[in-house]
Amino acid sequence: MAIHYDGTVARLEGDCSVEEALPLAEWLAANPGGGLDLARCTGLHTAVLQVLMAARAPLAAPPEEPFLARWVRPLLGG
Amino acid sequence: MNPLFDQFLLESREILEAADAALLRLERDHGDAEAVNEAFRAFHTLKGGTGLFDWPVFTRLLHAGEDVLAAVRDGRATAGGDLVDGLLAVLDQAARWVDHIEAHGALPGDAAAAARGLEAALTGRGGQAGADPQGLPPEFDWVVELTEAERRAAAAHRGALTAVVYDPDPECFFNGDDPLAFVRRVPGLILVRIDPAAPWPDLGSLDPYRCQVRFRLLSTAAESDIAPAFRAAPDQVRFAAVPADRVAGPAPPAALPADDAQTMAARLLRDQGHALALAADEVAPAARIAAAERAAANVLVALGRMDAVPALEAAADAAREGGRPEPLAEHLAALAADLAAPRPAAAAPGPARPARRAVRVEAERIDRLMGLVGELLVTKNRLPFLSRRAGDLALGRDLRAVEAEMEGLVAQLQDAVLRLRMLPLAELFRPLPRLVRDLAARLGKRVELRIDGETTEADKDVLDALGEPLLHLVRNAVDHGIETAERRRAAGKPDTGTVRVAARQDRDRVVIEVTDDGAGIDADAVLRKAVESGRIEPGRAAAMTRDETLMLVLLPGLSTAGAVTEVSGRGVGMDAVRSAVAGAGGRIEVDSALGTGTRVRLVLPLTMVITPLMVVAAGGSFFAVPTAMVGEVAKLPATAIRRVKQAESTVLRGALVPLFRLARLLGLPEAASTAELTVLVLRIDVEPVGLVVDAIHDRLDAVLKPLSGVLAGLRGYSGTTELGDGRLVPVIDPRELL
Repeated sequence: MAIHYDGTVARLEGDCSVEEALPLAEWLAANPGGGLDLARCTGLHTAVLQVLMAARAPLAAPPEEPFLARWVRPLLGG
Repeated sequence: MNPLFDQFLLESREILEAADAALLRLERDHGDAEAVNEAFRAFHTLKGGTGLFDWPVFTRLLHAGEDVLAAVRDGRATAGGDLVDGLLAVLDQAARWVDHIEAHGALPGDAAAAARGLEAALTGRGGQAGADPQGLPPEFDWVVELTEAERRAAAAHRGALTAVVYDPDPECFFNGDDPLAFVRRVPGLILVRIDPAAPWPDLGSLDPYRCQVRFRLLSTAAESDIAPAFRAAPDQVRFAAVPADRVAGPAPPAALPADDAQTMAARLLRDQGHALALAADEVAPAARIAAAERAAANVLVALGRMDAVPALEAAADAAREGGRPEPLAEHLAALAADLAAPRPAAAAPGPARPARRAVRVEAERIDRLMGLVGELLVTKNRLPFLSRRAGDLALGRDLRAVEAEMEGLVAQLQDAVLRLRMLPLAELFRPLPRLVRDLAARLGKRVELRIDGETTEADKDVLDALGEPLLHLVRNAVDHGIETAERRRAAGKPDTGTVRVAARQDRDRVVIEVTDDGAGIDADAVLRKAVESGRIEPGRAAAMTRDETLMLVLLPGLSTAGAVTEVSGRGVGMDAVRSAVAGAGGRIEVDSALGTGTRVRLVLPLTMVITPLMVVAAGGSFFAVPTAMVGEVAKLPATAIRRVKQAESTVLRGALVPLFRLARLLGLPEAASTAELTVLVLRIDVEPVGLVVDAIHDRLDAVLKPLSGVLAGLRGYSGTTELGDGRLVPVIDPRELL
């Protein structure tokens, strides 16, 4: 599992694959205001990315991986 | 909307008007350096304004206009008619965009395409070097819509760039594609934009397995090096080579006049700080923080203070992490203070500009003030009765002294409040130069517009009522009045026709004249037409004076000599002018000589708030009639009245005037017949109408109060006013009554 659901925070770690998109969308819908921790995320499948973009959930920790930090971080919630 | 946005809307319209005026001056005199500078300043200021809101297309278009003007200023281009045409077209577009932005909060969807056309026209004419001759295909529009920060990143790279448009197939996930992974493989990325293909739906109804994002990329690599990244989806990606200067956009630091910009920037930063502080209590300050950060970054970039951007970003991050806007607000306040502080290195400051001493007040508030003044006036009018009733002579004298003083003060107060509502007619005249220019060009005529008396002032309501009619009259003068150059030459006139618009104050009236030295109105032809169309009886026509005949052009369906040959419906237009002017309590006079020209004169009250009234007696009660409608008061012997059944009429100076008895119209008992009748000759339409009253009681200037409550639906009355003794008098609206 690359996504760990930890109370009110979803921690995305490593490469998050296409299979993670649906559970993540469901968790975000069930936990409005739930935070996202991308600090240890190294890659996002486009399907996961669009769930994150559509949700605009608050970011508990921004991604550290350079590509994600530069191009994906601005698309995510505050 | 935020105050900054409102301010932009307000100021941008003023700036656009200033630019318009400057360009027209430039067109008249190609060497008018001050006009070039003024237009340049206007484009520049407006560009600065648009830069604060992330409308890169708008900013870029204005920048193109600014470039052209800079070329003119530096002698690299001449200000010909084509160039001015192009710039005026940009201003028109800008005005439409401002309207659209006000209504919808954003530029219209076709903005980029419209801007492309205008820019091409401009750069083609201005002789701009370096412009991109073979424009990019429309799907690459975003390349010129980059934000300031993105453009900066792109500009850092000298040399050609490759733009990539990648719209993944929505079903691509099922083929095992991961578009984001493809994008990561692109070498030399300097821009990655990831946008939703359509606005995001609710998270609950989002189908994560359909790809709903699209990518826009800029890379320093060549197409051949980028293409392999997309070898799994070659049909979904397009490439275009983009010259670096195509995205470089405005080069702001050098172009900004330092001092003004600093002050303005300081103000803008302060405003952003305030807006943030106000948002402190909001649940989700994130959007506010992001907006303020973006706006502030744009300000800094525009000032050439890129060095201050990282600190700003740090402050914004701190605000985001804390979930509170304070850190950013404080940072913005400090930045503003820093910018506003005088720079020791700066040279001697330019001439100080007088601060604008203007307050914008809603018209309703002034109306309320006016209403109170009206009531004060009525209260004051009760004093004479009191002083007469005072038995004590000394007290009576003192009361009269107070009354005289009050009288003076109330009059001054009334005048001061009326003056609040007064605006110079220049407001009204502003669109005329452009109208005449465009119309003359379309008709292939040469027309010079002269405007006099634009500092004359009139009440805002009068101005509002006059705008359309004036445009119409000037349009008429150019369209139907002024002849073509050939015809003018044949008639021995100068090639260029003149339309003169002049305003002046004549006691409590404002007079506006529209005069042209064109073909004039053929009075005989008008009269013939009036008789043919059955509007005037042949017998009456024979008795009509020339002035009366000319007034016939104001009737609906009747036209002037010019319009007889033209298809455009001048008859209808003049009728509209007449009713608009009459509605404002004014009158219209037409004078014309065939072959020499036409003059239309509008005479309007300075204000519609104070109405001069005649108080008349009829059927044992008092009524008031607006003096503006009364052409004359005639005393007629009873024998001068002709009766045909119930209809009465009389002949005044050879013209048949129908008579109506006010008491009978209102269903009141009529006074016993007298040897002499008092008749108000009313000018409602072109033909006079007589209103028979028992006597004239008084004349007064009054504030009309509209009918309210159950009386509001009553027809024939336009309101009420109060006499000095406190009696309420209904004001008749003869137009409705007759």
